[in-house]
Amino acid sequence: MYPWKRRAGWWLRNPRFLLFQAREAGGFVSALFGLLLLYMLVRYHEGVASYDAFLAMLSTPVALTVLALLFAFVMVHALTWFLLIGKAQPIRFTKKPLRAGTVFAINIVLWVLVSGAVLFVVFGGL
Amino acid sequence: MAGEDADWNPGRTAIHANPKTLAKRPAVLFEPMLWGIFSLGGFITAFLLPVTIVVLFFAVPLGLWPAARVDHDAIARGFEDLLVRLFWFVLIGGSLFHGMHRLRHSLVDAGLKKLEPLLNVVLYGVAILGTLGALWYTILFDAPLPFR
Amino acid sequence: MADKDVVFRVKRYRPERDVEPHYQDYRIPYTDDMVVLDGLNYIKDNVDPTLTYRWSCRMGICGSCGASINGTPRLTCETFIKEVRGRTVVVDPMPNFPILKDLVVDFDDFLRKLHEVRPFIDRKEEKPLAEGEYIQFPEEIEAYRQQSMCINCMLCYAACPVFGASEHFIGPAASALAYRYIRDSRDEGADARLDVLSTKTGIWECTFVGECSVVCPKDVDPAGAIQNLKVLASIRQMRQLLMPKWTRR
Repeated sequence: MYPWKRRAGWWLRNPRFLLFQAREAGGFVSALFGLLLLYMLVRYHEGVASYDAFLAMLSTPVALTVLALLFAFVMVHALTWFLLIGKAQPIRFTKKPLRAGTVFAINIVLWVLVSGAVLFVVFGGL
Repeated sequence: MAGEDADWNPGRTAIHANPKTLAKRPAVLFEPMLWGIFSLGGFITAFLLPVTIVVLFFAVPLGLWPAARVDHDAIARGFEDLLVRLFWFVLIGGSLFHGMHRLRHSLVDAGLKKLEPLLNVVLYGVAILGTLGALWYTILFDAPLPFR
Repeated sequence: MADKDVVFRVKRYRPERDVEPHYQDYRIPYTDDMVVLDGLNYIKDNVDPTLTYRWSCRMGICGSCGASINGTPRLTCETFIKEVRGRTVVVDPMPNFPILKDLVVDFDDFLRKLHEVRPFIDRKEEKPLAEGEYIQFPEEIEAYRQQSMCINCMLCYAACPVFGASEHFIGPAASALAYRYIRDSRDEGADARLDVLSTKTGIWECTFVGECSVVCPKDVDPAGAIQNLKVLASIRQMRQLLMPKWTRR
């Protein structure tokens, strides 16, 4: 028998595998943002000067570019999450499971609504 | 085990998996719970993180919002509301547990299977410590605690 | 009618003389109604009788003819030559399995895994014949119908990168099969199956890549079945932790 060995670049052979790795990376990047937000709170509690310096550091062009790249991964994670909910429906509202595309659309709508709620409740509205 | 000798013995009192099979497949202790928190964290991250990042880091430098909406006073005003404090706590804790779980699986899949016990301690340790830190900095920092 | 031709680039491996698998090219004529299996049969009948591959029903129901066609796990009987992109049809054995010869892979491990999940109506007591048949409503059948369509073609295992790295992973088809019986209203063996599935090399090794459901020719959706099993296993563990005496049936 000729044995099988998975090759190192296996995820480059298929666009869905590439998206999968981007999604996994997005999960990790979300954790990085969690740590960043925690650090933000630490700086906030240190006082106005410390917090302002923190925000200023993150508004330099270099920082914004890095943040934008990381944010892209967060978006990949969020959008693939909405799609995955449709593919793994343990909750059934109707006799037939809803089509994955329908669930995705519903999730997008919910996401917009929740984002709006966050905007108003946490950040003081528009 | 009285009452259940062979498979397909009618009148047996219970159905068990084949012990030889179970011997090959090590049981899990925390995995279902970690997956549950991971799932919850996934919802939290997907729904709450994007708008937070845009508002906090992009809106002001890109001129979409006045700086006063995310400055120190604005955050302080938010902290007057318990719901806002819970928001920060849940966002930090959820994204940490979600991301660390994913990172652990990705690293193990990439070939670090032998390091898995160490990875578990380090990665979930970061998640737990981060969540505890979040608990402090969002909720407990001004709570009337005895040791203040 | 003008003869079109196509190159079949087929992975060969003869254990008694080859150290490594290698490609062999065959240029054959084809028509629009031919599938890749027809091409392989043409090669075997007219060009190279040593070419070895599995097939049977040639209509997508027996599950014998799985292979990798231009990098994607597909049934050779369900892949039209004209739909394969490019002038070359590259045929490899299904990935993630050891190769016995040419396109024939060893799947003893797969068959063992099917056995592990107790793929039968498992009850504490059989209903005596005198009591008549089990009654099932359409909704109860619908609950497991999708996962009952599996033809054991193993394309899902060929597609799964987790199985590709970890041969102990119980895998999509075995999990879908277990799910089929757990969701069957006549069955009482959910606990025993979850004992096997809710393990380190069971469903918890799955990272929901989802490729298994993409390649499945019968739309079994093993990925969805595994995620549902994760939910069931989590709920069961919660119950076992909080109400231990309640759960041991």
